[in-house]
Amino acid sequence: MSDRPNNDGAVLEFRNVTKYYGEFKAVDDVSFSLTPGSVCGFLGPNGAGKTTSIRMTLEIIRPTSGTITVLGRPSALEVRRRIGYLPEEKGLYKKMKAWAIIAYFATLKGMTRKAAKQRAYELLERYGLKDFSDKPTDALSKGMGQKVQVLASIAHDPEFVILDEPFSGLDPVNQQVMEDIIRDMTSRNRTVLFSTHVMQHAERLCNRIIVIARGRKIFDGLIADAKRMLPRRVRIETNDDVSPLRQLSEVVSMARIESPGMPQWELQIRDNVDAQGILEICFDRRIRLHSFNQAEPSLHDVFMQLVGSDAKEARFR
Amino acid sequence: MRYAFLVAWREYSESAKTRGFWIGLFMVPAMILISIQVQLWLAKSGTPTRHFFLVDQSQRLEPAIDSALDKNRQRQLLAALVDYTRKNLLHQDALSTLVSSAPLAQLDPGSVELLETFIGKGGRDFFLKQVKPYLRPDAPPFVEPRPAFERVKLPPEIKTDKSIGELAADLKPYLRGDRRLEAGNNLVEIDAAILIPKDVENLIVRPGGGGPVFGTNGIQYWSANLTDAGTGLRDEVEKAVSGEIRQREFLRRGLDSAAVRDVERSFVPILSLNPKKEAGQEAVNTTDIVKQYAPIGFVYLLWISIFSIMQMLLNNIIEEKSSRIIEVLLSSVTPGELMIGKLCGIAAIGLTMVGAWIVTTFVILGWQSGNSSELAGQVLAILKTTRLVPVFSVYFILGYLLYAGLILSLGSVCNTLKEAQSYMAVLNMVMMVPLLTMMFIPRHPNGPLARVLSWIPIYTPFTMMNRANADPPMVDVVGTMILLVICTAGTLWMAGKIFRIGILRSGQPPKIVEMLRWLKG
Repeated sequence: MSDRPNNDGAVLEFRNVTKYYGEFKAVDDVSFSLTPGSVCGFLGPNGAGKTTSIRMTLEIIRPTSGTITVLGRPSALEVRRRIGYLPEEKGLYKKMKAWAIIAYFATLKGMTRKAAKQRAYELLERYGLKDFSDKPTDALSKGMGQKVQVLASIAHDPEFVILDEPFSGLDPVNQQVMEDIIRDMTSRNRTVLFSTHVMQHAERLCNRIIVIARGRKIFDGLIADAKRMLPRRVRIETNDDVSPLRQLSEVVSMARIESPGMPQWELQIRDNVDAQGILEICFDRRIRLHSFNQAEPSLHDVFMQLVGSDAKEARFR
Repeated sequence: MRYAFLVAWREYSESAKTRGFWIGLFMVPAMILISIQVQLWLAKSGTPTRHFFLVDQSQRLEPAIDSALDKNRQRQLLAALVDYTRKNLLHQDALSTLVSSAPLAQLDPGSVELLETFIGKGGRDFFLKQVKPYLRPDAPPFVEPRPAFERVKLPPEIKTDKSIGELAADLKPYLRGDRRLEAGNNLVEIDAAILIPKDVENLIVRPGGGGPVFGTNGIQYWSANLTDAGTGLRDEVEKAVSGEIRQREFLRRGLDSAAVRDVERSFVPILSLNPKKEAGQEAVNTTDIVKQYAPIGFVYLLWISIFSIMQMLLNNIIEEKSSRIIEVLLSSVTPGELMIGKLCGIAAIGLTMVGAWIVTTFVILGWQSGNSSELAGQVLAILKTTRLVPVFSVYFILGYLLYAGLILSLGSVCNTLKEAQSYMAVLNMVMMVPLLTMMFIPRHPNGPLARVLSWIPIYTPFTMMNRANADPPMVDVVGTMILLVICTAGTLWMAGKIFRIGILRSGQPPKIVEMLRWLKG
């Protein structure tokens, strides 16, 4: 546990990191850095190199080339007490009691045994698992087990938390709990890096995303910037003929959206065009609108745009 | 190092909570206690009395057989009395006073003189009267052992003047257990029938020919119980009959049978001496024999303990690997710390188990040797005077580390227990060798088999343990130890390399070539 402020700049810095597994290039010349207190989503299709990057961050494996600096140190093991980690594939010792697992991992992070035990009970109570504290973990449901594991990874109150797919396998209620845990950490100026497939979570939680595909970084920046990469869209709902709109120079393309009820249309418009202009044109052409939406592209759309082709041919490692 | 200790402590405390650990802890002492008790019980209850028929149509051998069996009974009584006396002596010095007192000469049940005095002076009552002053006042009364053999009268409906064949046919229902017979107050089963034909004189086999072809005709011994044939009644009868026949041969040839008997009893004792023992104490006694075989127990203990903690270690690694806990661990500790922690934690479990076994063995042996088990006393004395326990500890630790290195490598490259078991089968087979050879090695503790196996590091701990009480040559002791230490260190180094890479791998176990590359990397 350390509450001292981090003054040495980036929490995590990748500089030209490359990792080969045999002939296979899992990570290809990736560079980025994380500032303290940020929440960063680490996105990418299966096999993109997310887990490999995370493992290299933790020094579980070493990069083939390039350097990684964690909390200002070249080796994550030097600062392991200040890092928390939830791996992608979750598992617990089956016969160990919930509190004992949390306490064990906390002691491995430098807490005293007494403090770790106290903290374990505290966390279990706070996150609704009080009654299961003394149960062996094979008596817990999958979701509960996963919660225990999340708690184990943050029990020592780390400055920097790496969560690999923290939402997978959780029901909506527990997904919300997970989001709360992350928000709680960021509110206390902790840095969080998490990988996910579910864009909604990233959209709600992150101010910044890094997208990698096939081992290469393809986007790194604010979500708003990512969205700006996509053409702007307008969504209208009407029974009238919309073909006149197709002719407009402001409209790049138009497509009908499959939906029940009244026909819906999505128009991609040029960046320099005001969406209000489209509304005025509709009035002029006597197209009676049932609804009009300036649809902001979702992160999902951004993701599909960025890695769609890669994701389809993503291979299993 | 603190982290390695934390890992070790978790391994230890979690394993100590398992049921298997506690069963293992109590299994060995329970086995020892049970085997001693069974031995005592067998000795106490003895073999049951064998009931038999005797029909002597020649009417010439019956008295000889009866008297021989009676003498056998007296010998049995004497042995029981001597045993009783030794156990209930007033104090140890009483024995020498008693022994020096005339009629009992030595208190050796094997002594012919003592037996003759015993029978001549009136047997049991005489003996008890003689020893009474030397016994503790609270000594329990003497309980006669059950007779080994008891002759039963033929049922009245059996006529003895038939031919041997017909007689045998009449007796078969009794011998097969279909019919029982009253003897004393009990219904008893008949174990055997001895049928002596009328013309037994013509059946005598003599050197230089004469008599029937051996094995075709003679006295018939009928019994459904084949295991009795070698040890019990048949031997007694054969001895008695031969003695009687020879007696008559002496008479026929005009020899003095008493002189012949005395001649036959003359002998020069042969002493077994061991040149490796201290001067003046070279005599080999039963303790020496037990001592030579005592290491077998330790080899077995070594094998069982290494074998069972190997399984523990394998399960443990596979659990962490298959549930991917390993990743969290490796974000907190280095693979080296994890491996050392595991090795130490599981070694501590093994040591606790073995330590408990050894301590309880001492306790049980001490208790049982005070409690009339002679073997327990001897074993205890050997354990106290030899280096077996320290030698065991050294070979346990080295053997454990060597095998643990192999298991760590194996466990780290397999994803499931099932996958690992198929490789374990090979290791198990290799590990069977010491178990198969442990009974033979004490016979030739410094023979070629023992020496060759000693120089194969995976067998060194077991084989050298096996030879521990036979003073193996120094070159074997030191040489194999050096080889074992080097080999263990090498295996652990290799395990460290393979563990680091293998533990994070998923998918198919790697090929040997690939693993060799890891070693270089």
